[in-house]
Amino acid sequence: MAAQTIAEAAIYEGLEAQAFPFFGAERRGAPVMAFCRIDDKKISVRTQVYQPDMLVVMDESLLDIEPVADGLKPNGSAVVNTKLSPDKVDLGIRVKCVSVDATTVALEMLKAPIVNTAILGAMAKANDIVTLESIKKAIASRFGEHLGEEAGRINAAAAQAAYDRAVLGESAAQRPIVKKRAWTPTWQDIPPGVALGQADMNGLKVGPGSAFQVRTGTWRTRTPRYLREKCVRCAKCWFICPDAAISRESDDHIQIDYDHCKGCGVCASICPAKAIEMAKGAKL
Amino acid sequence: MTIKVLSGDHAVAYAVKLCRADVIPAYPITPQTLIIEKISDFVNDGEMDATFMPADSEHSAMSMAIGAEATGVRTFTATASQGLALMHEMLYVAPQTRLPIVMANVNRSLGAGSGIWAEYNDSMPERESGWMQAYVEDSQEALDTIIQAYRICEDPRVMLPMMVCLDAFVLSHTVEKVLVPEQAEVDSFLPRFRPLNVLDPADPKFINIAVSPAHSMEMRYQLDHQMRQAAPMINLIDEEFGKHFGRRYGGMIERYRMSDAEHALITLGSATSTARVAVDQLRAQGRKVGLIKLRYMRPFPHQEIQEAVKGVKALGVFDRSIALNGFGPVFTEVRNSVYRQGMPVTNHIAGIGGRDLTIPTFVQMFDKIEQSANALERECYWHGLRGEM
Repeated sequence: MAAQTIAEAAIYEGLEAQAFPFFGAERRGAPVMAFCRIDDKKISVRTQVYQPDMLVVMDESLLDIEPVADGLKPNGSAVVNTKLSPDKVDLGIRVKCVSVDATTVALEMLKAPIVNTAILGAMAKANDIVTLESIKKAIASRFGEHLGEEAGRINAAAAQAAYDRAVLGESAAQRPIVKKRAWTPTWQDIPPGVALGQADMNGLKVGPGSAFQVRTGTWRTRTPRYLREKCVRCAKCWFICPDAAISRESDDHIQIDYDHCKGCGVCASICPAKAIEMAKGAKL
Repeated sequence: MTIKVLSGDHAVAYAVKLCRADVIPAYPITPQTLIIEKISDFVNDGEMDATFMPADSEHSAMSMAIGAEATGVRTFTATASQGLALMHEMLYVAPQTRLPIVMANVNRSLGAGSGIWAEYNDSMPERESGWMQAYVEDSQEALDTIIQAYRICEDPRVMLPMMVCLDAFVLSHTVEKVLVPEQAEVDSFLPRFRPLNVLDPADPKFINIAVSPAHSMEMRYQLDHQMRQAAPMINLIDEEFGKHFGRRYGGMIERYRMSDAEHALITLGSATSTARVAVDQLRAQGRKVGLIKLRYMRPFPHQEIQEAVKGVKALGVFDRSIALNGFGPVFTEVRNSVYRQGMPVTNHIAGIGGRDLTIPTFVQMFDKIEQSANALERECYWHGLRGEM
């Protein structure tokens, strides 16, 4: 939505633009990518963007799990949703950086941690291609169309607030930018038959779409806490877990696999002994 | 070996019994029903140690076949026409998950403007599904091809499913003499099934997964490679079959009176038999005609056809279905194969909707093929069509 809106804003400025998502296993909270390309002439290229002029990070927890700044041009800029000031934002590359606490803006104005409109206001501060006025107009149009005029107005106001609170500076370059370790076998090395658990990569069981590679636990916004002493060992949570992220010990006490628990909370709601409680945040 | 008088459908059923298929999920449809009725009799009467599973649709039958095969047991099902169309979605699962299911498809025309009679517009659209496709000429070949099919499909160098296609009524309900091998003969030709991946609760596994763009291209190439690799295996296993049973079919294609042929016709299915008679009649008149019988549409015998048509002055291709854009599917494949060889290639559509294919129909095809060697009048003929083309 944010990429589409910035593209629409650019078109209001008399420019050409395109915006497109890349979907994986999509779900709110799962890491996703979206791209926007802006030019003063018709855009023919339809590839993904590998060397962006601007990077927008809507969830700062991504900085620790993805090399988000990989490919960012040295003279480019970044917009990061964080409480930190730009010089504390470690992108692994020193670039012009706008930091904004878009989550707080969204919670105040939209009553939900949905930051995609607020972040657009901060983007206006980081570039001189698309003005805040065009962005607000684009938000009113896109969000107004889907959610009604009032929603369009509130979301545009969130962008204005984020613009006002955004801090311009330069990012830190402490961490190394390490490309994510990916399993890219040749056709001969793909285990035949689309069955998992066949190949090994550095001691890790992998396969196309393997859960060993995709750590869905990073999608979590709530985390189950297991209260072992309250557990009556009924195994209902083990049975109901949609991600097989709960395993049984020999005496039917349980273990939670936090690499793959998405924090859905069905274990907590089925537990008859209230031995699982959901804590706020991605970690305990 | 026992001599029996069997319909094409019953020949298939006997072959499935001899191959010791373990699980047969099926849903009836004319003209295939005789196959699964006979198999259910075999199972009921204790002649066959297998599980017969009546399905609630062909989509379910194919899903059950996939599930059964994935547990490592030999599986068979049969269908026709609308039934195959209803399976379409599930068909694509078996090749990529490398499940060597064998299925009989009794070719019956599909859609409005047709009935229950032979046409290939049911199986031809499934060429891209990853299933191998054999087309047979008579009841004996139906039986033998099912036995060959299990050997080919389950070979570790292939591991793909196959549909064995036979013509509605002309084969399915026509009785003729069939040599039925003894169980021991088949057992020595067809070893136990050794699956690639087995679904086993003791070793949990996930098959038929969603795959991202990072891996699916390599997987599709692997499948394409596998399909191309199947062609030499089909030739090899046919040869071996010949050593075991004293009958062989030429593998991917059969050449009939082709050694000095100048005008050749490519046929498939039961039409080949009648076309042989037309060739014999024309040869008796001194005309240098020959026949190539196509046994497989997938993998397609590109090399074998290129080799067989060397020296041919004009080539014709018989099609029993039309791709509704001017040509039939077999023609498109053949012309793709031989385009470097330069001879005129004409398409001969006939027998649509099960219209009877007569000797004069094939004589007329050869007339047009001979004519095309001098001047190409048109690329596609409909034989027996009322009204101007």
